[in-house]
Amino acid sequence: MITPARIVFEEDGKIFALRRYSEDLEDFSGDLLKKRVVDLKPSEKLSLFPYGPSAGGFTESIYFSILTSGEKIEAMNYDTSLKDRKISLSGKDILKALLITERINGIHSASYSSLFCDLMERSSGIEISQEIMDLRTLMMEMERISHHLFVAGRLSGGASQNIASMNIYLLREELLRITGQTFGHRYFFGINKPGGIGRDIDLSNIYEKLESIVTEYEEIYRTLMDSRIFIDRTDSTAIIRDEMAAGPVLRGFGKNMDGRLQHRYYNNLNVRISTGDSGDSLARYVVRSEEIFSSWEIVKKILDRNTRFNMVEEAKIDKIQGTGEKISGYMETPSGDLSMILSVRSGKINFFKYSSPSLWNLRVFADAMKGNNFADFYFGLESLGLCVSETGDIR
Amino acid sequence: MKAWFLRSFKKGIVTSSFPSGKNESLSPWATTPAGDISGEVNCPVDAIHNDKVDSGKCISCGICFPQFKPSLQIPQITTTRVEKSLSKSMKLYIFDSGTCGACNLEIMALNSPQYDMNRLGLSFTNTPRQADAIMVTGVLTDGMIDPLKAAIDSMASPKIVFAVGACAISGGIMGKSISEIVGLDVQVPGCPPDPFVIMAAIEKARGRI
Ligand code: SF4
Repeated sequence: MITPARIVFEEDGKIFALRRYSEDLEDFSGDLLKKRVVDLKPSEKLSLFPYGPSAGGFTESIYFSILTSGEKIEAMNYDTSLKDRKISLSGKDILKALLITERINGIHSASYSSLFCDLMERSSGIEISQEIMDLRTLMMEMERISHHLFVAGRLSGGASQNIASMNIYLLREELLRITGQTFGHRYFFGINKPGGIGRDIDLSNIYEKLESIVTEYEEIYRTLMDSRIFIDRTDSTAIIRDEMAAGPVLRGFGKNMDGRLQHRYYNNLNVRISTGDSGDSLARYVVRSEEIFSSWEIVKKILDRNTRFNMVEEAKIDKIQGTGEKISGYMETPSGDLSMILSVRSGKINFFKYSSPSLWNLRVFADAMKGNNFADFYFGLESLGLCVSETGDIR
Repeated sequence: MKAWFLRSFKKGIVTSSFPSGKNESLSPWATTPAGDISGEVNCPVDAIHNDKVDSGKCISCGICFPQFKPSLQIPQITTTRVEKSLSKSMKLYIFDSGTCGACNLEIMALNSPQYDMNRLGLSFTNTPRQADAIMVTGVLTDGMIDPLKAAIDSMASPKIVFAVGACAISGGIMGKSISEIVGLDVQVPGCPPDPFVIMAAIEKARGRI
């Protein structure tokens, strides 16, 4: 199956593309990816409603222009560039580049740093052990559970299910505390290094705690699915059926696609994929909840085979000098597929591009909101699990 | 409804008594590292000078390990003003000037039952007009300069400006500090700061600790 191009760029008069879930750059005959342009013209019946960038209760700064009759959304545009940090990795040494990459999207730093390290290792022929792959996978799955809990908390809070929302936040905080105590950092900063890990990790105490979080979430999830109010608020809102979507948004309308299915880190872990039919906010919520359970299944398998990971000193960054050859890959973050291309020369980054899932999900969301009730904007937005920080432009 | 009540009873009291009691947790690398510089340490943000770590610069990367280890203490919080008039009630407005997302979520975590910010008279507001304090997170980005100035201008006095996290305080590893355009009343170190550190900073700024 041909998957959409995620990164397209021109070099030496030729166009290259990296497709979703692909590690291979290919010659491309299509156009460079274009910015979404929507003409929003107010009229006697339609007014332009500005929303953001800071006021309004968003998790991160973002600006929306919504063309509306007051009831319905006619068209919508967005601008994520206001908080664009103008991140540049060119010329940076590998360590600094890794630290910056971890912070492109801090709440998905395990996914970003795992992919960055994977590319570094492949660029220099460094083999990593199964244990290190397992640790990366485990961190990414814990990150997925944490992110999905946050989205579930926001969505249920928005649907006036405040007790449910607080119960979910409680579980998320428990998870973050376990993460902090076990990994030294609540968002996994500073652990991944090319070739290894930066500190010892002992996982012998986390099994029961994680199990109880997931079991408790299951109870909350079943109770929420019995709530008419929650179902009514999320059912049929912000329906998205666009193949350019990523992650739970893509799976929410029945696409059985997930980068973990073919990624070598997940070999022998039997990733269970959940899909929805309706593509609405409810379907995305169900997909996320089911992913919490399947992520726990993966974590359990990894914990069954490892509990201690020692700092790998061979993680020597100076081993990576690079030849300037481009290397590319992908990772399935909690929000969907992340693609990255980079090259290293003389120990410094000399090419770096990435495509984030939030970039695509925001785009398809803006298209899909046409015709929706204005009041459904919030549910649609929260159900995306958007991370504005990762929509920035890498230079 | 019954299910929720039963759940809450089963769970019992989960809320911390901090700051009158001790903080139940503290993420190790959110605390300022301590050690000595006898070996080679290449801090990527030049935060280490004469065996001391500048907590406003430290990005919690752990590269100084094992010479430096997390101190496991709530870091030094720099406060240039204290507003006792806000000690009973304070509304917080989160302003993201260019974050990775983590600082924002750590501030929002104060709303979770373990911290229950309402017990301290704290609440969030979605507009700076109603805010007593602005919690600025992230590096200074060009596009957020005007919104940041406008937000602070539109707040009623007394108002407190918090710089939350290494990016806002010093620019961290990502960019410029917000101090280039606004005065910082309170600096909350960490990358990101632990929610207990944020809570301690808030309490310090209104003279409660
Ligand atoms: S943790 Fe990182 S930023 Fe902080 S002092 Fe150590 S090396 Fe420097």
